[in-house]
Amino acid sequence: MNQGQDEAALGKTYDLALLRRLWVYIRPYRATFIVAVVCLPLTSACLLAQPYLLKLGVDWYIEQGDAAGLTRIGLLFAAALLGEFLFFYAQFQATMLVAQRSLADLRRDLFTHVQELPASFFERTPVGRLVTRLTTDVDAINEAFSAGTLTIFMDILTLVGIVVIMLSIDFHLAVVTLALLPPLLLILNFFRTRTRVTYRTIRERLARINAFLQETLSGIMVVQVFAQERKMFAEFEQRNRAHRDANHLSNMYEASLFSIVEALSIISIALMLWYGAGQVGQGLVALGTLVAFIEYLQKFFVPIREFSTKYTTMQTAMTAVERVFQLLDTPVTITSPPAAHRPHEVAGRIDFEHVWFAYNEEEWVLRDVSFSVAPGESIALVGATGAGKTTISKLLNRFYDIQRGRILVDGVDIREWDMHALRRRVGVVLQDVFLFVGDVATNLSLGRTDLTPDDLRQAARHVNAEGFIRELPGGYHEHLHERGANLSAGQRQLLSFARALAYDPAILVLDEATSSVDPETEVLIQDALTKLMQNRTTLVIAHRFSTIQNADRIIVLHKGRLREVGTHQALIAQRGIYWRLYQLQYAHAAGTAPAHTDGPVLEEI
Amino acid sequence: MQRLWGYIYQYRYRYMRGIACLVMTATLAMSIPWLLKQAVEGIEHGRPVREIVSTVLLIIGIALLQGVVRSFSRFLIFNVGRDIEYQLRNELFAHLQTLSLSYYQRQPIGDLMSRLVNDVTAVRLLLGLGIINILNTPLYYVYAMAAMLAMDPILTLLAIAPYPFMFLVVRAMSRQLMERTLNVQAGLADLSSRVQESVSGMPVIRAYVREAWQNGVFGGLNERFKTENIALARLRGLFPPLMKGISGTGLLVVLWYGGSQVIAGRLSLGDLVAFMGYLHLLAWPTMAMGWLISLYQRGKAAMQRLEVIWQTRPDIVDGRENGASRSGQTVRGEIGFRHVDFAYPLDDRRPGGEAGNGHVPDGRTVLHDITFTVPAGKTVGIVGRMGAGKSTLVHLLPRLFDVTRGAITIDGRDIRLFSLAELRRCIGFVPQDPFLFSARIEDNIAFSQPEVDGGDVRRTAVLASVDGEIEDFPKGYETVIGERGMTLSGGQKQRLTLSRALLADTPILVLDCALSSVDVTTEGKILQALRTSTTEKTVLIISHRVSAIRDADFIVVLDAGRIVEMGTHTELVERGSMYTELFQDQALEEELAEL
Ligand SMILES: Nc1ncnc2c1ncn2[C@@H]1O[C@H](COP(=O)(O)OP(=O)(O)O)[C@@H](O)[C@H]1O
Ligand SMILES: Nc1ncnc2c1ncn2[C@@H]1O[C@H](COP(=O)(O)OP(=O)(O)O)[C@@H](O)[C@H]1O
Ligand SMILES: [Mg+2]
Ligand SMILES: [Mg+2]
Repeated sequence: MNQGQDEAALGKTYDLALLRRLWVYIRPYRATFIVAVVCLPLTSACLLAQPYLLKLGVDWYIEQGDAAGLTRIGLLFAAALLGEFLFFYAQFQATMLVAQRSLADLRRDLFTHVQELPASFFERTPVGRLVTRLTTDVDAINEAFSAGTLTIFMDILTLVGIVVIMLSIDFHLAVVTLALLPPLLLILNFFRTRTRVTYRTIRERLARINAFLQETLSGIMVVQVFAQERKMFAEFEQRNRAHRDANHLSNMYEASLFSIVEALSIISIALMLWYGAGQVGQGLVALGTLVAFIEYLQKFFVPIREFSTKYTTMQTAMTAVERVFQLLDTPVTITSPPAAHRPHEVAGRIDFEHVWFAYNEEEWVLRDVSFSVAPGESIALVGATGAGKTTISKLLNRFYDIQRGRILVDGVDIREWDMHALRRRVGVVLQDVFLFVGDVATNLSLGRTDLTPDDLRQAARHVNAEGFIRELPGGYHEHLHERGANLSAGQRQLLSFARALAYDPAILVLDEATSSVDPETEVLIQDALTKLMQNRTTLVIAHRFSTIQNADRIIVLHKGRLREVGTHQALIAQRGIYWRLYQLQYAHAAGTAPAHTDGPVLEEI
Repeated sequence: MQRLWGYIYQYRYRYMRGIACLVMTATLAMSIPWLLKQAVEGIEHGRPVREIVSTVLLIIGIALLQGVVRSFSRFLIFNVGRDIEYQLRNELFAHLQTLSLSYYQRQPIGDLMSRLVNDVTAVRLLLGLGIINILNTPLYYVYAMAAMLAMDPILTLLAIAPYPFMFLVVRAMSRQLMERTLNVQAGLADLSSRVQESVSGMPVIRAYVREAWQNGVFGGLNERFKTENIALARLRGLFPPLMKGISGTGLLVVLWYGGSQVIAGRLSLGDLVAFMGYLHLLAWPTMAMGWLISLYQRGKAAMQRLEVIWQTRPDIVDGRENGASRSGQTVRGEIGFRHVDFAYPLDDRRPGGEAGNGHVPDGRTVLHDITFTVPAGKTVGIVGRMGAGKSTLVHLLPRLFDVTRGAITIDGRDIRLFSLAELRRCIGFVPQDPFLFSARIEDNIAFSQPEVDGGDVRRTAVLASVDGEIEDFPKGYETVIGERGMTLSGGQKQRLTLSRALLADTPILVLDCALSSVDVTTEGKILQALRTSTTEKTVLIISHRVSAIRDADFIVVLDAGRIVEMGTHTELVERGSMYTELFQDQALEEELAEL
């Protein structure tokens, strides 16, 4: 019990803190918001006046038989009605305007924030969950506004007003009538704590359904090709069922609460009549007072009856607010320093100095890696899968920060660079190709308006993509589906390659940029690239020796350590790892594959 | 809407029980103003208190009974709403799984998600709260009108007069309301798709510093969504005060006209109280009516958006024979392509495409007259320039798409005669884009056979040469990987998808550039291991590396969707045309020199 109270108290201050943060978004629209707030008590006043006018009508005119007076009261009543209508509508419109505007701002901030979050965040967070945050959750807050969270304040005002008026009309009668108020409050509180928990559960389960849907539909090809539809259905059904069961529980709470309030409202009227009957008989209470009390009680229970619905809406919204701000609070760990390095010209020198890096603490992926690349030099990174090649390319771009050592570009630590300036100079063709829904041209320019169609065509020509683009029915305007699903993997890769060239970076990083491209095309691209690579630094990650050989120098990486550096000839002469790799590919091709090379070559070194 | 009726019909017994409770609740509720009238009249006429007390006790009794019945009615009907929601989601999910890849290539997933989440919710609201109110409103009206007419017909008509007016207003607004609701719902779906895509493409956006572009695109959608929401609110906000105003007007009439009737002695004060009581009871259902209209519009709009999904019929379905004729016989794995032509369905968003009628016209022909046979247990290499149609060719085998002309056979039997599950269970497929689920590595490998033990999982991981690296992870096979295998290197992803296919232990194995990110050393090891352990399997292998295909039993060379050459490595090298052109830079020079 005690603990429950503490929790409730904690919940209250916590909710307050959340609301204060929400207020930051409402503030810019406070003028409109004030209109809404001012309209609230006015609506309440108009509402409260109505039963009182009724009482006056009954006591002063109906019982006295004064028809003219009744007309006057009728006109006042009509005025109160009209006032209620107008103030309510004004209040609702003002609230909705504020809500829509501030929530749009919130959504915008969320989106901007998500774009700044570190790469590691996206590895932990399912895409489906982020979609839920930005759409469903923000919409839940909107729902709270449109279902009248603000009117809860109006309701409270109305309730207090009714109690005060009733007490002032007839104290004893009011006390008897409101005798059921304390148990009612207890009941409301009981349900409040229960539904809070249930609602949290429901939201969690819904989020799990979303994440599952999202992932399964993305991987539908794998599901189908392995004929695992039944299994996936079973998993979905289980999540769906859990969500439904939680809702059944919440339905039970909601139905009971609603009915209890209904019953109590009638019983209150009955109690009043019971007591009132004797009082009227003794002439202590006017009949008009009884009529007005009945009317007030009816009005009293309307907001309480709506309370359960409004409360659940509010609860949902509060959970949503909480989660939305949690996302906004996720720290942006990779940022530019205050006086960031933002040079006009970049020569393209790269230095790795004793770089240690781990995605998860202490699971070193790179160990003490040091190398330098002169401006304009081309380097090939070679190593077994999982050696850390892609990791190097991601570090150069500052997708992650290293734990030990330094990475310098043009002699400046990349942590001192303006992040955007750095990334603008380092063009990485990522290993995982991603294309956006939209046409080919947009995918090449990525929305940059300073790139002319000629620039794009030029870039496409360099990577030999012009041919296939021309053959597409829509050419450069061909619509690409999600992730470029209507292209072959090689074509996608070329577009992603062309995109990097269109960007004209000082440092070009090619992470297996042609692994899905046939060797013939690769050779053509290579020829085109030699010209392009002349005055820029290039880092090439590849497995085919035809690509590797052309580099000025070769860096051999093994299990996160740098093992060999040198030109092709030098490394062959050195007879180390590189030589063995080379031997393996070519010896095999020459038909003299010795049996032992099938064993773990790299491991034994 | 017909589907909606289907659900209602299916749950009719539970609905009926709920409705019975609703009717009882209404009946009990409606007796209360009548009893109040009795009590007030009793007080008015100075009857003995004892008489009044018995009326009061009756009221309390009815209130309690009504409370119980009411909670049952709501509980029953709300739960049906939830059950239908559950069923609807299940059925939609099951249906979506039957739709072929060509559907998913046209349909953004964010949009589908929005339908399965937000639209299903709208339908559920209609079937729960909506149904309650649809029934309550007429019920309350009938009862209240009857009681009121009995007391004073003229007063009744006057008090009720504003209500028909309200119906007219509501009817006039409902089309607009529907339109705006649809706009908002579509706007929400657009936002979902956008977020979904931006988050998936985050590395690219980041690498090219295009955050501003994305913010612009999202900002535009966000702005539009806001405007549409405001437009909707403007209309929707009219309903609650309108309803309140109308029921208030009724009260005004009772006070004014009713009061003068009391003065004239034609009505009692008790009648007046009863009248007000009935009007109060009508206020809620009347108010709910306004809200019900928007609920109905939303539900209907949502159902229409769901109907679009239902109306997409699966175009690739189980074969007629369904395996019955040959059950028990194991598939050997002989594959035959007979004059196969294939064209991808035309994009229906492009002008000229016919949308929605189920039969999408075909686009460019990607494969022409493909004919070849792979005897069971043999390995065939497929090579060709990018975009030649290699992936397309192998996608036809598990019927991810159906051939446009010609036929594909397995063991001499047309694959369209198999049941889909039967067909796909005999093909181990390693797609070009490695897709992994955000689950444990173990679960990913055992995807097709969740019940296998750890030993089998390990064995296939060893075959795919990925065992060592998995063991190096602190949690080994229990490591949970990110969505799409985000936390793995490219080569690790590929080898895990290979393990997954190997574990399925199928007579046919398809490798579509499955080792392109794997270094040559490891690739050599894997291929060697495959050769010794899968001698029984028919293997189709696509690769750009000569080392991967040179040992194939024969090689098919594709160009622009046609087979241009076939033969063993040596034959093709000797012949010296397309094949040698393709691989001239890869070691072939030396080999040619040797010959
Ligand atoms: N985001 C990540 N989180 C955790 N581990 C990762 C992540 N990305 C890669 N790794 C691990 O780091 C190692 C190196 O990966 P990577 O640099 O991609 O290798 P490759 O040399 O094949 O490009 C691998 O063992 C891989 O599993
Ligand atoms: N889903 C699709 N819809 C329309 N066209 C496609 C689709 N997938 C591939 N294509 C086109 O079909 C051709 C063959 O593609 P694919 O079989 O993937 O080539 P690859 O030989 O490189 O594997 C390409 O020109 C590609 O643009
Ligand atoms: Mg890599
Ligand atoms: Mg392909």
